[in-house]
Amino acid sequence: MSPPEFRYIGQHLPRKEDYRLLTGQGRFVDDIDIPGALHACFVRSPHAHARIVAINAEAACEMPGVVAVFTGQDLAQWTTRQRMAPPIAGLQPMEMDTLPIDKVRFQGDPVACVLATDRYLAEDAAEQVLVNYDVLPAVSTMWQALAPEAPRVDDSLSSNLLSHQHAEHGDVAARKREAYRVIESTFSQHRQTHLPIETRGCIAVWDAGRQHLTFHVGTQVPHPYRTTLASRLRLSESQVSVISPDVGGGFGQKIALYREELTVAALARHLKRPVRWREDRLENLLASSQAREDFCRTRAAVSADGRLLGLELDIVEDFGAYSFYPGNYLARVVAMILTGPYKVQDYRYDVKVVLSNKVGNGPMRAPMAITSWVMDGTMDAIARELQLDPVAVRRLNMLQLQDFPYTMATGEVLADITPRETLEGALAAIDYAHFRQRQQQARAQGVYLGLGICTVVESTTYGSRFYKAAGIAGSGHEAAWLRIEPSGAVNASVGLGATGQGYETSLAHAVAEGLGILPQQVHLHIGHTDIAPYGMGSRGARGGTAGGGTLYLCAQEARVKVLAIAAGLLGLGDSAALRLQDGCVEKMRDGIWTATGVGLADVARTAYLDPLALPAGIAPGLEFHKTYEPPPMTYSNSTHVCEVEVQVATGAIRFARYVVAEDCGTVLSPVVVEGQQHGAIAMGLSGSLFEQVRYDAAGQNLSGTLADYLVATACELPHFELIPMHTPNRATPAGIKGMAEGGVMGAIGALTNAVNDALAPFDVVVNQQPLTPMYLRDLLREKTNFIHKA
Amino acid sequence: MKPAAFDYLRPSSLEEALQQLAAGGDRAKVIAGGQSLGPMLNMRLAMPSVLIDLNDLMELAYVRDSGAFLSIGALTRHAQIAGSALVQARCPLLGQAAKTIGHYAIRQRGTLGGSLAHADPAAQFPLIAMTLGAEIEIARQGGSRRVPASVFFQSAMATALAPDEIIRCVHFPTISVNEGTSFQLFNRRHGDYAIVAVAATVALQDERVVRVRLGLSGVSAIPQSCDGMVRPLLGQLASAAWAADVARAVRAVVTPEDDAGITAVYRKELTEKLVQQALERALTRAKG
Amino acid sequence: MRHVEKRSITLTVNGENHELWLEPRKLLADALREDCRLTGTHVGCEHGVCGACTVLVDGKPVRACLTYAIQMEGHEVATIESVASNSVLSPLQQALHEVHGLQCGFCTPGIVMTFEAFLKSNPAPSEEEIRDVLSGNLCRCTGYQNIVKAIQMAAVQMRRNADHVAA
Repeated sequence: MSPPEFRYIGQHLPRKEDYRLLTGQGRFVDDIDIPGALHACFVRSPHAHARIVAINAEAACEMPGVVAVFTGQDLAQWTTRQRMAPPIAGLQPMEMDTLPIDKVRFQGDPVACVLATDRYLAEDAAEQVLVNYDVLPAVSTMWQALAPEAPRVDDSLSSNLLSHQHAEHGDVAARKREAYRVIESTFSQHRQTHLPIETRGCIAVWDAGRQHLTFHVGTQVPHPYRTTLASRLRLSESQVSVISPDVGGGFGQKIALYREELTVAALARHLKRPVRWREDRLENLLASSQAREDFCRTRAAVSADGRLLGLELDIVEDFGAYSFYPGNYLARVVAMILTGPYKVQDYRYDVKVVLSNKVGNGPMRAPMAITSWVMDGTMDAIARELQLDPVAVRRLNMLQLQDFPYTMATGEVLADITPRETLEGALAAIDYAHFRQRQQQARAQGVYLGLGICTVVESTTYGSRFYKAAGIAGSGHEAAWLRIEPSGAVNASVGLGATGQGYETSLAHAVAEGLGILPQQVHLHIGHTDIAPYGMGSRGARGGTAGGGTLYLCAQEARVKVLAIAAGLLGLGDSAALRLQDGCVEKMRDGIWTATGVGLADVARTAYLDPLALPAGIAPGLEFHKTYEPPPMTYSNSTHVCEVEVQVATGAIRFARYVVAEDCGTVLSPVVVEGQQHGAIAMGLSGSLFEQVRYDAAGQNLSGTLADYLVATACELPHFELIPMHTPNRATPAGIKGMAEGGVMGAIGALTNAVNDALAPFDVVVNQQPLTPMYLRDLLREKTNFIHKA
Repeated sequence: MKPAAFDYLRPSSLEEALQQLAAGGDRAKVIAGGQSLGPMLNMRLAMPSVLIDLNDLMELAYVRDSGAFLSIGALTRHAQIAGSALVQARCPLLGQAAKTIGHYAIRQRGTLGGSLAHADPAAQFPLIAMTLGAEIEIARQGGSRRVPASVFFQSAMATALAPDEIIRCVHFPTISVNEGTSFQLFNRRHGDYAIVAVAATVALQDERVVRVRLGLSGVSAIPQSCDGMVRPLLGQLASAAWAADVARAVRAVVTPEDDAGITAVYRKELTEKLVQQALERALTRAKG
Repeated sequence: MRHVEKRSITLTVNGENHELWLEPRKLLADALREDCRLTGTHVGCEHGVCGACTVLVDGKPVRACLTYAIQMEGHEVATIESVASNSVLSPLQQALHEVHGLQCGFCTPGIVMTFEAFLKSNPAPSEEEIRDVLSGNLCRCTGYQNIVKAIQMAAVQMRRNADHVAA
C-alpha cells in the first residue's frame, strides 16, 4: 500500500499494453514481415568437446532455396572476437570467436550458418553440411573441472578455474574457536534454463545506401546491446539501430549479444540482403544460456543459544564453456549479500567459478537465487543442531529497525528494509503456533506436514558505486525523456527493455505522479535505440527504482516549467500557489484548490506556437531529459512461508499454503507488482521441483525437449497469498525500491526448508535440488529406522 | 524443427488407406491424431516419404456395445472416450484412464488406435487393453485379424502390427455394474506420462473378493497383467489389509529396471503404493 | 533428400478462404503466420507441449504445431484474431485484462483459444477443472493464479450473458 500522498502512484489500474496482446496483435520479432529476408539455420556440434577438422558445405549449397553457408572462418573476416576481460582480481580473461573456428565446447555449439529462402529448406540443407570432428574428452561436472588433470575447456587458460575470489571480514577463525558449535551445511542447486515461452530471434536489415543496420531483436538492454553490436561489426554506433518489439519473456536470457545474432547481422551486411533467425525450442534448450548450477557450503560458528558468531561460505559454480557474461559476476553477488537480514560481522567467503563443456551461463531471474536458501537453510541447520525453534533462531539473529542503517561485513549498507516485520507478518498470517500443534497431530496419523521460512533481502537496483566497488565495469544510472506535445499529449521514454513486466503501465504512474496528469494520458516509448535515451536496460529488478525513479524526477522538472508558464498565462508573478492535477492547473485560493481554466494543452500550445508569450527567462518547447544515479544499492525484502505435506510413500510434495509478506517500497502499480510476485515465486518453485538441465558424462544434453525439461503447470503451483507491508525508501525518488526477483529467492528457500521440517522425524535433511520424489524416497529409504505406514 | 519433406495422401475409406499403405512400403506412415507422431516428425526422428492421413475415416470413429464387449473404433478421440456415457456404463476404466491422457487439447485429437499403435510403455490405453484382455482388430488389404492385447504388445514402442496394417477397432471386455474399478497413476506433473500406473477391477460376493483384473505399466517394456499373481489371494474378505497383501505380493514379483533418474526400487515402491490405492478404491466402489 | 512439390490448398480461417501454395509438411502454425499473415498464433516449442500455438479446428482446441496445414482442408480453423468482435473484447479477454492474467502475452492467445472452447461446453467449471485444462498451456510469467481468476470471472459473465439472452 502506498502512502496517501500519492495520487497516481499506487492506483489499481489495469494494464495499457493488454489490448494488442489479448487480440493477437502484439508485434514479436517473428511477427515482423521483412520481404525478401533469408532464413538462417545453424549447424551445431553433436559433441560436447571436439576439434573442428573440416567443414564441407558443397552438398548443402546445391540444395533448393539455399543461398550460402558460412563458417567461423568467414565470420572472422567481418566481425571482431569477443574479449571478456574486466579488470577484476581473480578473474581470467576469455575470448570467443563469433563462430568457433578451432573447436567446439558444448553440444549445440554453432559451427556454421545456412541461409535459405525459408526455414524448412534451411534445415534440410543444414543436415547436409558435413563437419569432420576430432572428439575430445569432455568436462561434465564442476568437480571434474577442478581436478588437476582435467581436459581444458579453454586452451588459453591454464586450468578450468575461470574465477576465484575470496575475502575475509573480521576474524572468522577466532569466532570458530570461541563457538559452542561450528555447524556445516551444504546446498546444491542444479542447472536450469530461463525458458521464456518466446525463444530468441532477430532480423537484420542492412541499408547499403545509408550504410546503416537496423536490427530487430527482443532484448532487455537495447542500448548496451547496440553498443556491443556496433563494436563487433566495426561500425559506428551511429550506424546501428536496435529495435526491441514486444518480447515474450526474457528472465535474463535476452541480454548478451549472442553469436547467432551477431552472425545474422554480419551476414545481412555481407550479402546486402535482410536475414532473419528464429531459434527453435530444441536450440533454446541446447544452446541458449543456462543458469544456477552452484554448490555452497556454509560453516556457522554459533553460541549455545543459537547466536551466529561467524560465518564461512564456499561456492563453486559451473559456468559452462563460454563467457557470455563475466565469470565472477553471478556468484560474487551471492557472497556479497549472503548474510542478508542477519547480524554477523565475522564473515569469510571463497567463490570459485569453473568452466565445463556445457552452454555458458547467464543471469536467470534472481541470479543470486541461492542466497536466501543458503542463509535461512543455515539458520534451520543451527536450529536442528541445537534443538531450538527455527523461528527463535531467526529472531535472535535478525536485524531490527533500530539496527539500520546496517553495514554488512562485506561493506554493503542495508537501510530502509524491514525483514523482522515481514517475518512476523508472514508468521502471523500462517498462524505459526497453531501449525506446530497441527503438525504434531498429523504425525501421529502418519501424515507429515512441514513449514519452511525464508526471509529475503533482495538487491534490486545496482548503482554505479556498487559496480565500482565490486570491480564490475558499467554504470547503474538510467536516462529518461519526457515531451509534452503541442496538443498536450504526453510522450515519455526511458532506457529500459520491456519483456512483459508492464512498463507501459507502471512507468506511466511514475510520470503521472511527477507531472500531475492521469496515467492513462502518458504514452511510453521503450526499446528503440533511436528514440529512447541511452540507458542501462532491464536487469535485476531495476525497472522500478532506476526507470521509474528517473521518469518521476524528469516529470517533476517538467511540472516546474509547466506551472511557470501557467503562472505567466494567469498573470501571476510565480507559480507558488499553483498545482497541476489531472492535467488541469489549479490555484490555491483561501485554502482550497480551485480550477483556473488553464490546462496542459494551453500551456503546451503557448510553449510551442507562441513563445513570445512565455514569461521572461523561459525557453520555448516542453521537452525534458534527465539522468539519475541511484544509491549504490537498493533493497526490498520479504518473508516467504510455505506449508507442505510430504507423502513419504512416494516422495511427492503437496502444497498446503504459500504466504509472502512483502515490503517493496513505494509501489508504482499494485497490479504489476502482484503479477511479478506471482511469477517470481512460480519460477522459484518450478525450478526447485521440476526443472533440471542434465548433461551426461560425455557432455550430452539430456534435457533437449520440454518433455525432458519440466516446468510447473497450473496444477503444480499453490495459491500465493500476498501480504503487503510496504515502507518507502528514503533515498530514492518517491521511495521506490523495486522488486521482481525476491520471489524466486524466497520460494527456493521456503520450499526446501518446509520439506526438511516435514521430514524431521526421519532425521532426513535435503540439501540438493530439484526436490524430486525419487530423491526424497532415496533419503527416506536410507534411514533404517523409517517404518512405512501403509 | 521442421519435418523432412513428405508426400501427403488423404484416403476417404479404410480400403483406400490400406491400398496406399501397401503401395508405400516401409516409406509410408499413417497419421491419425498426430499428437505423438507430430513431435517425432518435427524433430526428424521419423522421416516417412509419404504420410497417409486417416482423419477422414469417420467409419472408424464409434463406441458400440456388443454385449460382452465394448467395441471402439480406432479413430475415436480420447475426449470422446472420456466423455462417453456408454463407456462410463460398460467399461468405466477406459473413461477414467482417458481423462488423464495428456491435456485437454491433446485429447481432442489423440486417438485410441494411435495410442495402441504407438505403444508407449507408459500410455494409458495399452495398459487398459492389457488389463481387460482386449482384442485388437487389425485390417490389411483383403482381410483382417483379431489379436489379443497380450500378443499385440511386443516391446516398448513395438507391436504386432505389420507395416501394411491399420488398426480398425478394439474390443474391450465389458465390466459389470457390480465390479468396482480404479485407475491410479503417479507422474511428476499433471498430464505427464505415468511413471507407474495401475488399472484394477474387483468383484465381490458375500464380502469376499471373487474376481480381480489387475494391470500395471511402468515396470516392464509392455503393460503387465497381474491376474496370475492375485489368484492365490482370491476368496478372502475385502479389506484394506487384503489390498495391502496383494500390493506386497505384486511388488515382490515385478522386475523393473533402473533408468535415467528413476531406480528400479523406486518403481517397486510406487507399484506397491498404487496397487494398494487402486484396490482399496475399487473395493469401495464395488461395495457402494 | 527428397523433394516434394508445393500444392495448392484452400484453408478456411476465421470464416475466410485462403488459397495457399505450400508443401505438405508446412505446419498449420507456420501457414497461419506466414501465408495467412495472422501472427497472433505463436510458436513456442513445435512439439505440442507449451500450448502457445493452440487454435480451434471445427470448434475444438488443437495444437497448430502438431497439425500440417494441408490436413485442414475442409475444416474450419479459428485463431485469436477471431475472438474480439469489432474491437470489443470477449468476456474472457476482458477478464484477463481486468485481473492481470497476462504479462508478456506470448502464451495468451493459446490460453484464450483453449478456454473460449472449453467454457462453451463447460459453463460452470470448478477451479480444479480449470487448472486441469490450463495445465496444457505453459506460462512463464504469471504463475497462473490470475489466469485462473480470469477464467472463473469469465465463466460467471458468460453465464450471465446467456441468461440475458434466454430471458
